[in-house]
Amino acid sequence: MLGDVTISAIGRGTLFAWRELGGITILAGQVLRALLPPRLDGPELFRNLYRMGNRSLPIIALTAFFVGGIMVIQAGVLVKQLNAAGLVGWGAGYAIFREVGPMLIALMFSGRVGSNNTAELATMTVTEQLDGLRALAIDPIPYLVVPRVIAMTVSLLCLVVLGNLIALYGGAFFAMFLLDLEFSTLYYSLVDNIGWLDFVHGAIKAAVFGSAIAMTSCYFGISVRGGAVGVGKAVNAAVVAAAISIVTLDFLLTAVLP
Amino acid sequence: MTSSATPSSLIEFRDVHKAFGAKRILQGLTMEVGRQEVFFIIGTSGVGKSVTIKHLIGLLRVDQGEIHFDGERIDNLSEKHFYPVRKRIGMVFQHATLFDSMSLRENVALPLRKHQGLGTKEALAKSDELLERVHMGNFAHSSPATLSDGMKKRAAIARTLAMEPQVVLFDEPTTGLDPVNARRIDRLIRELSDDLGVTSIVVSHDLPSIFGIADRITFIYQGKAYKSGTRQDFEQSGDPIVRQFISGNSHGPMETPGF
Ligand SMILES: Nc1ncnc2c1ncn2[C@@H]1O[C@H](COP(=O)(O)OP(=O)(O)OP(=O)(O)O)[C@@H](O)[C@H]1O
Ligand SMILES: [Mg+2]
Repeated sequence: MLGDVTISAIGRGTLFAWRELGGITILAGQVLRALLPPRLDGPELFRNLYRMGNRSLPIIALTAFFVGGIMVIQAGVLVKQLNAAGLVGWGAGYAIFREVGPMLIALMFSGRVGSNNTAELATMTVTEQLDGLRALAIDPIPYLVVPRVIAMTVSLLCLVVLGNLIALYGGAFFAMFLLDLEFSTLYYSLVDNIGWLDFVHGAIKAAVFGSAIAMTSCYFGISVRGGAVGVGKAVNAAVVAAAISIVTLDFLLTAVLP
Repeated sequence: MTSSATPSSLIEFRDVHKAFGAKRILQGLTMEVGRQEVFFIIGTSGVGKSVTIKHLIGLLRVDQGEIHFDGERIDNLSEKHFYPVRKRIGMVFQHATLFDSMSLRENVALPLRKHQGLGTKEALAKSDELLERVHMGNFAHSSPATLSDGMKKRAAIARTLAMEPQVVLFDEPTTGLDPVNARRIDRLIRELSDDLGVTSIVVSHDLPSIFGIADRITFIYQGKAYKSGTRQDFEQSGDPIVRQFISGNSHGPMETPGF
């Protein structure tokens, strides 16, 4: 039996989640409206593309390389048992393109870029820099939020595409050295079995995750209340919300996409 | 108190009320600011001076009452319709609010790029001139995070002037400045009004500033305009509460929240 306390806690949590979801939806609407016709700040867009995309490359490359390795090592036991070397390239490629690549890279991206973005926007909000923008007759949505949403979506898409390739190389590297497989075996196993659809499936996920991370991180950043303590809470809430969104959207997309 | 709009008044607050939750800040504030005036708002800390001027650019909304600007009612405008007003009324915040991600000159260039249609190069050149005007030319390339409060405030003034506004709201422009720079800012405010026809509303506790450059003064006390008048009116006032404020006496009839 649930106690009254538990029930009211669940109720409060649900209300809270709905309110935040409503806030994010409204912000998404404002972002879309600012995109038709596009009103955004060029220099802000490039600044954000650089620091969110380019600067994330090393960490994403490192993660991807080992993710490829993990996939192959996990498969290795079965490959040995079943003598199924011809399936390693296919198995690793399929999993990386469709699932592991977009998901892990998105979570990594959320931790590095999303949290940073929330902290920056939240700090700007509590130090009245957002009001400062409005006082200069500059609407913060097209000026601050839209460039970040575009930059995060584009960056994550590119990072996932690149990361997937690096993961495949990582997988091949570990397969050759740990499982003693030939590169050609891996290569043909991959190209014979993996199609464009697998690639596109992952790319769509990457773009959707990118915009989800962008919306949650911007929303919690600009709706912060209460000084430095508020900034900490906002970052926390943004990272949790982004992770939940990624997992939920992944589930939905996997069910819907071919 | 009458609230009939004289044709010369540019800004008018009519019986404005504002509360934050149970905290009632403005409780029937009525005041008029004339064209090209240097108008001072004075009052104790926490009385609601910053809150008052934020209403003029729609950063806060009245609970009750009306605000008029240049013959138009503005308190009920939507956020979208406030943007044109914000181009005409600039604000220098109490805490500068420069953007940390940009150097001073980029900060000042931002409104020039956005509103005056200048290219990046021209905007930066003009922003150097404006920074020179507040004696911050040497720091044009510095990041705001590396500067003192007084320096940031001067740069923020340059950024607001870049908008070429008709009205400038200065929230404690000389607080945190040394006397030399404080008097320079006073002179700048006076010149804006005398030479360029700008109307200034200055929130301040700085007595030399108040009695140096104010055309008219409103003293806010307990959510209302307790007294409005010229410098002379204030200097000669026999009202014990006004006297206590301008003489800075800790003992007297004035009630301040928290004491
Ligand atoms: N956004 C807000 N939410 C809640 N309370 C607020 C908000 N803004 C201001 N207040 C409260 O309103 C009161 C008046 O604040 P305001 O900043 O106008 O004071 P002030 O007269 O400018 O004082 P100071 O001279 O110290 O700057 C304060 O009690 C402050 O806590
Ligand atoms: Mg104040």
